[in-house]
Amino acid sequence: MATLVQVENLRKEFGNVCALAGVSFRVEAGEWIAIMGPSGSGKTTLINILGGLDMPTSGQAIVDAIDVGRLDESGLTRFRAQKIGFIFQQFHLVPYLTALENVMLAQYFHSTTDEKEAREALERVGLGDRIEHLPGKLSGGEQQRVAVARALINHPKLILADEPTGNLDEANEETVIQLFHELHREGHTILMVTHAPSIGRLADRRIAFAHGRLVEVPASLKTSL
Amino acid sequence: MFWRLLWKLLRGSSGRLVVAILALVSGAMVISALLNLEFDIERKLTQEFRMLGANLVISPGHDAQINGAAPAALMNESEAFAAIQSLKDPAVVAAAPFLYIVERAGDTPVVVAGTKLEELPELEPAWRIEGQWTTPSRENQIPCIVGRNVVRQLHLALGSTLLLSYLGKTTQATLVGIVDAGGAEDNQVFMGLAEVQRLAGLPGQIGLAQLSVRGTAKNISEYAARLAAALPSYEVRPIRQVTEAEGDLLNRIRLLIGSMVVLILALTALCVLATMAALAMERRQDVGLMKALGGSIARIVALFMAEVGVLGAAGGFVGAILGIELSRWMGQRVFGTAISLRWEIFPLTIALMVAVALAGALPLRLLGKVKPAVIFRGE
Repeated sequence: MATLVQVENLRKEFGNVCALAGVSFRVEAGEWIAIMGPSGSGKTTLINILGGLDMPTSGQAIVDAIDVGRLDESGLTRFRAQKIGFIFQQFHLVPYLTALENVMLAQYFHSTTDEKEAREALERVGLGDRIEHLPGKLSGGEQQRVAVARALINHPKLILADEPTGNLDEANEETVIQLFHELHREGHTILMVTHAPSIGRLADRRIAFAHGRLVEVPASLKTSL
Repeated sequence: MFWRLLWKLLRGSSGRLVVAILALVSGAMVISALLNLEFDIERKLTQEFRMLGANLVISPGHDAQINGAAPAALMNESEAFAAIQSLKDPAVVAAAPFLYIVERAGDTPVVVAGTKLEELPELEPAWRIEGQWTTPSRENQIPCIVGRNVVRQLHLALGSTLLLSYLGKTTQATLVGIVDAGGAEDNQVFMGLAEVQRLAGLPGQIGLAQLSVRGTAKNISEYAARLAAALPSYEVRPIRQVTEAEGDLLNRIRLLIGSMVVLILALTALCVLATMAALAMERRQDVGLMKALGGSIARIVALFMAEVGVLGAAGGFVGAILGIELSRWMGQRVFGTAISLRWEIFPLTIALMVAVALAGALPLRLLGKVKPAVIFRGE
């Protein structure tokens, strides 16, 4: 398998606070990686840098042969549109756009919109009958499924999911995890931040963080189910 | 998708945008009313000042002579009117010759003005007339109009016969109209020029000519100069009190209207600015998300600017319609007649409101600096 993500001695400092202290690892194309660790350990900072939302203080974060830290503002914009699919814990849907329009928004910023394709993406995540609903009329699980459809619509190289089930009840968590299973089977590369050991065990590999550094994965998480 | 997003943005923030659109409609309404008034004010003022009567006088020059005789206080009627005719200026609303003599009505002396009675309604529109300005001459009947003071003094009434004598010659005129001018004309009798010339023994001669010329003070002065060039032996002069007052008033009104338009534009922009600043704070989350999804700054800001532009155009259009109605109402109140509709007001008001809205939308441009990671961290 080819390397899709290569992180070398990555550092990120916010003033006097060191969020990432020289992190290095690789992710092969098609892998599902669970990034784990306590709050404030640097997981989200890593996701933000890999997704081009934040810049590293030093080191390299290479995604699909692009060194994210070297991109300028317009390069970052193109990178986010073409390479990355984001899924957030808070869903981050635009409240005055319907489910369909939220998906089409990602198409609009990527290239051109295709309503038929957007409908199919929503049908695929089981929301064929919720297409014209506003986010406020959808349950948390449904909103997260819209976010998954939006993340996939532009066929990104890398899916970055930051606590995608953190705000969901058990039933909805199961549905969303099932979607991630399908994406993984289809060959998508997934980096997922999670606190939940049960979800972390589903991944191919687990990367554990503490105080901005990689640490050994606890034995309780080493065995995949 | 752009228009779909634009529509949703407008609907999604309708509560806040109502404040901005109310400011834009109010501003556009007053501005379009003022502009409509400004565009029409010259015509209206000119009309109003024409109500004051003649604004140009041709009189004998200090060295004027008739037929080589001694300097006279008279002019050659045909020479003066030939010059007026030759200029063929459509701005000349009315032109009337005048020859004044003092005749006697019984034992009472009265000033009689020989003129073209049919020109008087246009020349002196402010005069109030009871009866008629003139009637077609019947056999042995000479029409005259008489000032109200003379009517009272001589105990006359409409249809009365007025017997006038001058240096042994007499004439008998029928009173067809009683004039109330509120000035010296109330003490005068007006009748056909030819009859007065016959009585005075001055055929073809007049004392002066009065003209009512349409246009601004500048137009009138220019016409006077051309007429003076055509009549070098006579004095042609605008009545300064009228023309200068008109020009002065016009300039003052224009300055006032211009100042108010600038002030209202500034106030409208400030109101939009305040609304948009609040809206920009609300939109930070959306903008952070749009950037995370790969939206370029130019594309995102263009979307918000288009939203503001639509608001400006809509506010300008509605405001222009209301403003036209307002200017009509103001025209009725100030001038007693409706102000004419000027179609150029619509694009001008809309363009001004779009410009004001975009200027007031400065805070939305700052959304381009939003950092998605900062927004998602909740900072």
